[in-house]
Amino acid sequence: MIAIGLEGSANKLGVGIMLHPKDGSTPQVLANIRHTYVSPPGEGFLPKDTARHHRSWVVKLVKKALKDARVSVDDVDCICYTKGPGMGAPLQSVAVAARTLSLLWGKELVGVNHCVGHIEMGRLITGASNPVVLYVSGGNTQVIAYSSQRYRIFGETLDIAVGNCLDRFARTLHISNDPAPGYNIEQLAKKGKQLVDLPYTVKGMDCSLSGILAAIDGLAATYGLNGEQPDEEEDAPSEDTPVTDGISEDRKPTRADLCFSLQETVFSMLVEITERAMAHVGSKEVLIVGGVGCNERLQEMMGIMARDRGGSVHATDERFCIDNGIMIAQAGMLAYRTGFQTPLKESTCTQRFRTDDVFVQWRD
Amino acid sequence: MSASLETIHLPHLPSSLEVHAALYKDVQNAASLRQQLLSANSNFEYAFIDASMVISRAHALSAVFRAVNDYLNERLKSRNIHSEIVFSFSPTNNIADSFRKFGISDTTCNLLVVKVSVTPDITHDSVAAHLAQNVQGTLLPFDDEALAGISDVAKIKRAYKLGSLPSACSKQANGAPDEGKRQLELSVLGAIALRGAT
Amino acid sequence: MPTAHPPPFSTILSSTPQPSPTDLTPIYQGAEAHLYRTTFLSSTTPAALKIRPSKPYRHPILDRRLTRARILQEARCLQKLVKEGVSVPALLGVDWEPNADNGSSWLVMEWVEGGPVRVQLERWERYLKGVERERGLAMGEGIEKSEEEKVRGLMRRIGGAVGGLHRAGVIHGDLTTSNLMLRPKSAEAAVDEEGEGSPSMEGDIVMIDFGLAMQSAQDEDRAVDLYVLERAFGSSHPRTERFFEEVLVGYKESYKGSVSALKRLEDVRMRGRKRSMIG
Repeated sequence: MIAIGLEGSANKLGVGIMLHPKDGSTPQVLANIRHTYVSPPGEGFLPKDTARHHRSWVVKLVKKALKDARVSVDDVDCICYTKGPGMGAPLQSVAVAARTLSLLWGKELVGVNHCVGHIEMGRLITGASNPVVLYVSGGNTQVIAYSSQRYRIFGETLDIAVGNCLDRFARTLHISNDPAPGYNIEQLAKKGKQLVDLPYTVKGMDCSLSGILAAIDGLAATYGLNGEQPDEEEDAPSEDTPVTDGISEDRKPTRADLCFSLQETVFSMLVEITERAMAHVGSKEVLIVGGVGCNERLQEMMGIMARDRGGSVHATDERFCIDNGIMIAQAGMLAYRTGFQTPLKESTCTQRFRTDDVFVQWRD
Repeated sequence: MSASLETIHLPHLPSSLEVHAALYKDVQNAASLRQQLLSANSNFEYAFIDASMVISRAHALSAVFRAVNDYLNERLKSRNIHSEIVFSFSPTNNIADSFRKFGISDTTCNLLVVKVSVTPDITHDSVAAHLAQNVQGTLLPFDDEALAGISDVAKIKRAYKLGSLPSACSKQANGAPDEGKRQLELSVLGAIALRGAT
Repeated sequence: MPTAHPPPFSTILSSTPQPSPTDLTPIYQGAEAHLYRTTFLSSTTPAALKIRPSKPYRHPILDRRLTRARILQEARCLQKLVKEGVSVPALLGVDWEPNADNGSSWLVMEWVEGGPVRVQLERWERYLKGVERERGLAMGEGIEKSEEEKVRGLMRRIGGAVGGLHRAGVIHGDLTTSNLMLRPKSAEAAVDEEGEGSPSMEGDIVMIDFGLAMQSAQDEDRAVDLYVLERAFGSSHPRTERFFEEVLVGYKESYKGSVSALKRLEDVRMRGRKRSMIG
């Protein structure tokens, strides 16, 4: 059986095609293509512009996906699309495209929860059977574990999402949004050495990130590091100070130091709440999904924690953890195979759609 | 049974670091003992504590533990481990004040002496012999009963700023220390443990 | 020489988990801390030792900062509560500076005799289930008046204990029936063996594990503390849920500001944890 998945809840438009072989063997990715709307440095992406981007690219991407997958329209069983959560206008533009294809080709529609899409794709790619899931993206920060037909949220951010926090700091520094602001923060952080003090707010299994963003924006302003930076030399490590040397505290931090400190602090909070959830449910496996899940430092830190607990971390690369169409196809197909489909009348989309609202019929 | 110098192994400290403690009443030569301290006579390197400021054995041992732990972690705030024991009775970081409140004075008649085996030549016998020669007073057992007859609860409460605690002077009919005294003791232990927390 | 000499902290901290001599028994290993039963100040004084190990995934400076801040936070809360006469294990010793070699910090508290309220309630629920099965009654019908009064009394004492905590300006942060101990009034009463009968609910409520505690006197924080406890009763002890009102009665009577905290609890209940979110 073949599913086509359409994703456009934020600034990535993704189209993917998944094959679930009839013999029950491992599902295969037939096509996975993506086009990203990149806004200029210092700016975020606006819903209206993003929706326009999706509308103008969706036909090209669907055609190319079918060609890459070497399948014809007749081979497709269902059309899966992101029902939510996400930004309203981009979600709508993709839902309209999905409905159009459904009517045009006479195929069933399957509305998919974006977060569940990430989780199911992560499980498929990594083979992690029942992990605690850390879902980290521009819009979400959640610690999730499966229990009786639901992906239950054990902890989450109390204010902004981690990806949003990183993206907004990238804007403060006028770092390029190409290919992604978070990616460029990660590269700059690799050159950072000095850890600056930032607020650290964990409450049980929840965390708060807005205070950190305010603090680091303040530091950037204090040291005159915000805005455009013509001389990139400054970002090079100034001297060979060892990382553990707390004495060098009065040295003026660089832009790289700020990115480094932001990552170290925020990721420590994420690993901490994940560990608490693992202790709570008695799990040793952890799966990181969502765009921020590509960050190698986050994966490394999570790996050290999991190893100390006698377990391991599962993560995927940018093809799968950044928003894409196959994750929607994968989760949609799992639901479709249990008999689930979304009638045309109900094929709406919604900005708010909690992960634990989905009845997960396809798992034990 | 006559009282004598007691040698104690505190849990969670290296067993080589023996703690020697002796409690005296009717001390006659407090002024000269204090003089030896002031002149930094190394033969008189002891923690000399005004025993009326000690509410219980646990109180004294908790100050000793704090000082020895700081010694092991190289965090002494005063000259040596024995001056640090006196300082460790204090709930504040003022060293001079701690000696005024908890240390020996010229008029001290109830005295608790503590010495820690920081070098191998400091043994039970060497300490016992030296104290027998130099402290003019009557040995008491170093226990809660003896301390109960000595300690000045009102002064202790003032020193630890615990005046708001319920009255702790009464004794229950069966002779067991009442709840108030227990609460005072525990509050004092916590204050010693948390001294200097910023 | 005493036969049982608990080892120096330097060796405990450097090699956890380690073989357990009789005087250092591991009790619990959580995500944050390891708890041991041991002795302190004298080899006959039982004590609880809590160690916060270093977290190697964290930057060393951040790791030391957090380990230090948290052990201190817990120690300060305990000390404050002991001074206020709230029933919690007293702070006996603490070293908040992370150990130079391994970055761990430790804290020693009074040992609390007795067992968690959770265990007594689970036993009580098993007993009730047995009664109901025996007499062919529906769930909840097997509770006799005396049984009901016993549980109501326990719940009221729990409410009083939490009220005392809040009156002193401390929020527990993780109130569950595992973190509420039932300490027998006397040593004889402690002999309450595992059996089929209705378990004793006599004793003092002692709150433990202040690892997530903070100092606050705000209604919102107090209400959330109560709400967490209410949810814990609901999920762990379904048969006691309808007596939870007694906790609130005990709480209300325990201090002056309780009424506004209870009012806030209604808001917190309405709000729940359900937070809408955007993608």
